[in-house]
Amino acid sequence: MNNNLSRRDLLRLVGLGAGAGALGLGGVAACAPSADGPTTDTAKSATDFSFASWSLADNASKAKIEELMRGYGGKAGVTVNGVPLAYNTYLNQLTLQVRGGQFTGAAQMDIAWLAGLAALGKLRDLGDVARDAGYTEAALSSGQVDGKQVGLPWTTAAIGLIANRELMQKAGVTTAPATIADFETALRALKSTGVIPYAASTKVAQLKDILIWMQTFGSPLLDGDKVTVGDDASVEAVAWYKKLYDEKLIAPDVERVDARTLFAQGKAAIYDDAIVGRDFVVKGSPDTSLADKLDPIARPVKNAGDKPRAVQWGHAVVVVEGEGANTASDFAGWLTSDEQTVLGYFKDLSLPPTTSKALASEQVRTDRFTAQFSERITATATPNPFWKYPQYAQMETAISEQVQAVLVGRAKPADAMRDAGRAVQALIT
Amino acid sequence: MLPALAMLAAIVVYPLVASLVTAFFAQSLVEPGRTFVGLGNITELLGGDFWRLLRQTLVFTVGATVAPFLVGLALALALNTRIRGRATLRGLLLIPWLVPSVVVSFLWMWIFNANYGLANGALEALGLIDEPRAWLASPGTAMAAVIVAKTWASFPWILVMLLAGLQTVPGELHEAAETDGAGAVQRFFAVTLPHLRGIIGIVLLLELIWNFQHFDLIYVMTGGGPAGATETFATAVYETAFQGYDLGRAGALGLLWMLLLLGMVAIYVRRSEREGQL
Amino acid sequence: MSKRSARDSRGSRAAAWAAVAVLGGFGLLPVYWMLATALTPAQQTFRYPPSLIPTDLTLDNFANLADEPALARYLFNSIIVSVITAVLSVVVSAYMGYAFSKFRFRGRRSLMYFVLSSQMFPQALLLVTLYALFSAYRLLDTYTALVLSFTTFTLPLCVWMLKGFFDTIPDSLVEAARVDGASRLRTIHSVILPLSAPGLVAAGLFAFVRGWNDFIFALTLAGREKTTLPPGLVNAFLGEATAQWAELMAASLLASLPVVVAFIALQRFLVGGITAGAIKG
Repeated sequence: MNNNLSRRDLLRLVGLGAGAGALGLGGVAACAPSADGPTTDTAKSATDFSFASWSLADNASKAKIEELMRGYGGKAGVTVNGVPLAYNTYLNQLTLQVRGGQFTGAAQMDIAWLAGLAALGKLRDLGDVARDAGYTEAALSSGQVDGKQVGLPWTTAAIGLIANRELMQKAGVTTAPATIADFETALRALKSTGVIPYAASTKVAQLKDILIWMQTFGSPLLDGDKVTVGDDASVEAVAWYKKLYDEKLIAPDVERVDARTLFAQGKAAIYDDAIVGRDFVVKGSPDTSLADKLDPIARPVKNAGDKPRAVQWGHAVVVVEGEGANTASDFAGWLTSDEQTVLGYFKDLSLPPTTSKALASEQVRTDRFTAQFSERITATATPNPFWKYPQYAQMETAISEQVQAVLVGRAKPADAMRDAGRAVQALIT
Repeated sequence: MLPALAMLAAIVVYPLVASLVTAFFAQSLVEPGRTFVGLGNITELLGGDFWRLLRQTLVFTVGATVAPFLVGLALALALNTRIRGRATLRGLLLIPWLVPSVVVSFLWMWIFNANYGLANGALEALGLIDEPRAWLASPGTAMAAVIVAKTWASFPWILVMLLAGLQTVPGELHEAAETDGAGAVQRFFAVTLPHLRGIIGIVLLLELIWNFQHFDLIYVMTGGGPAGATETFATAVYETAFQGYDLGRAGALGLLWMLLLLGMVAIYVRRSEREGQL
Repeated sequence: MSKRSARDSRGSRAAAWAAVAVLGGFGLLPVYWMLATALTPAQQTFRYPPSLIPTDLTLDNFANLADEPALARYLFNSIIVSVITAVLSVVVSAYMGYAFSKFRFRGRRSLMYFVLSSQMFPQALLLVTLYALFSAYRLLDTYTALVLSFTTFTLPLCVWMLKGFFDTIPDSLVEAARVDGASRLRTIHSVILPLSAPGLVAAGLFAFVRGWNDFIFALTLAGREKTTLPPGLVNAFLGEATAQWAELMAASLLASLPVVVAFIALQRFLVGGITAGAIKG
């Protein structure tokens, strides 16, 4: 122990700190891009690996995913370590972990996020695995970024409106509203019965749902490289959303989780969800016959006769280079294309498979809800034009925050959408 | 102790300086390389979000300091009497302070839940509101709701500190004042408060400094929303760096924030020097 | 002071009761609500208006947590990291606190201020570089990264607390040991430390609690392996699933239990420890 710490010691200490600082700075600068390059697995044989998934963080789907992980683990003689991450923080957390080298292995991905994660340069090209697995062309393309097969398609469908037929009938709404005007009338009728008519997303986390309404009102969102958010149609869509909000036809403080809960409890009549939603609301509901009351409806259009809009939706499985990546690739292929596996997945979680063979199976073809959903919603679904940009997540946030500012009365639709459009444009260029 | 100091320097001082340096660069967390932009990031902030963030940070800081202080003081005075079960109560009241901040956030999110929350149920039963409110989703109430949660989490610490201080107030002083005919309220202002001045000063200042950089509750409960209404320097820096990946802007925000904080720390150091703390 | 309180007027006693009832309710009702919700069947949490007294009680929510392997891992990590942080902080700050308390050297004051104020630097800001630094040295998602970063906020407080304790030990004791021919280190180990056991316990527990409760550092610096409970809970629950309030409250209760129990068990050391530095004046 030193008993006489002199000023010189102190100076030395400061010098040390600065030295360490300089060293660290050099280190940071050198390693920032972290040029690992595609690593080849040392072991040819199967190794343990991690599987990140938001379905593992959900009570409704957790057991099934764990069963699948055990199933593969038993077959290959390895342990699959589950990494549950909630959907809302998923992309951000995974990006940081992949970038920092904290994560390797397989990961579930929303197809909207592929470009962003691929930009980190650590995703394996799964073209070889995909080639003979029998995926449909449409499914395959949902897993590609710049022509590279960074993800294997696990499920594809769309996000659409799901209604509770019983509540609709109680409000006297017997036919699905075809136009926005009809839709508003239906919502008012529903409101008078005391339920939340439409549990639309109003929290930033899922306000991306507004994008499809902007498209419904006629905004292309993106024209070549030019962002059109801020055009008349997008402003009109947001102003309309605000009107629904003010008339309490949609409720504050709602995102997908809340919407599903409200719908499951019979407190909301309509909400936006992917096909996967059936499983959540049915399992989370005290009403044992809710499954029979579910009615997927086509999104209303602006002018009668327009083609209804729907946004494509799907999950892919990606493989992050590094420890266990070979086995993880094999797992990804098995998980998404082994017929037994995907049909079992469909049976338990009602997520449609992506291989032609499984899609043609008796079991998938005869499922009423899936058939209606495909016919009314998936049939006209298109990918969101912003998905191709690695900055998609930030674009979504930029727009969502401006829309929320409008909803809570902090900004006018026109100003907010102009600002949002500029912010998104700035992210592209 | 040199190694310890060196370690502290390496993981506190260096990172701090390095973070602040990014204020002068355009730099991304996920992409390599950076370019010098001088004061660009800073002027952009001063012409934009900075003032809103400053205002909101101050509202949170002052609110989350004054409210728990008042609660803590009232309880300390009450518990400094001979009411029954005060030892048990003092122990139980420590719980909110011990609970992890993440749990505090969850708990109050649940209480303030728009559809099923206890707050709505209770206030409606008392006739104070006539329909459920979305406390955390309205710009007008979100900040207040977060402050309530923070108040709940920090009043016990203040209570303990003040109670300890109260117990050093000599009884004779009170007796003398009482003989002079001073009532309870007068005695509080004439005897108790002056005696506690030192400790009150430290408690308030520490709370101010801590709240000025508080992150957890805001991040978990509202994520800075709705529409940025509860965003403070702490959440803005974090989100800019780790969700927007914009290190330059985060550094610039941090630099301005640090300057303000240094002012507060300076007051603290002055003050504790005067109190003869060290 | 007992004399004074004996003479408390009826009015101020009533005021005391009122304050305790209202503010104590504010303090304790949420704790009760957490417990009550954790014991309520999941479906019943969706009743509005909520009933203060649960109609049915169940342990299902806790049982559901038990078959969550990730949660057990977070719990384990939390224990490891907090314990190591506590031990490390106490050991290091015992020497530092001693030096600050008993040695007279130039720059002592400035150094002390430096140590004290280092806990006041914004963590969000430190993280921007800490993340890059740990990433460069491949330390992300390691216990090392978590313990090192936790120490940045536990060390200053522990040093402060322990210095306060050492100050209360008369210098004459140190001198006496010196005269008996004990070296400085021996003096510390055989005379000072045993005397300051309560202080050491308090400081250690304090560091443990702060480590246990940390959110922002673990959120950013840990990864799939070493995540601790707070970020683990946030990542697992603020999710896509139906809002699982009952289960979340059960998990919250579990995450709070260790610190609450430890504190209550060691309370007599603590209240002194927390306030020691501040009251002395």
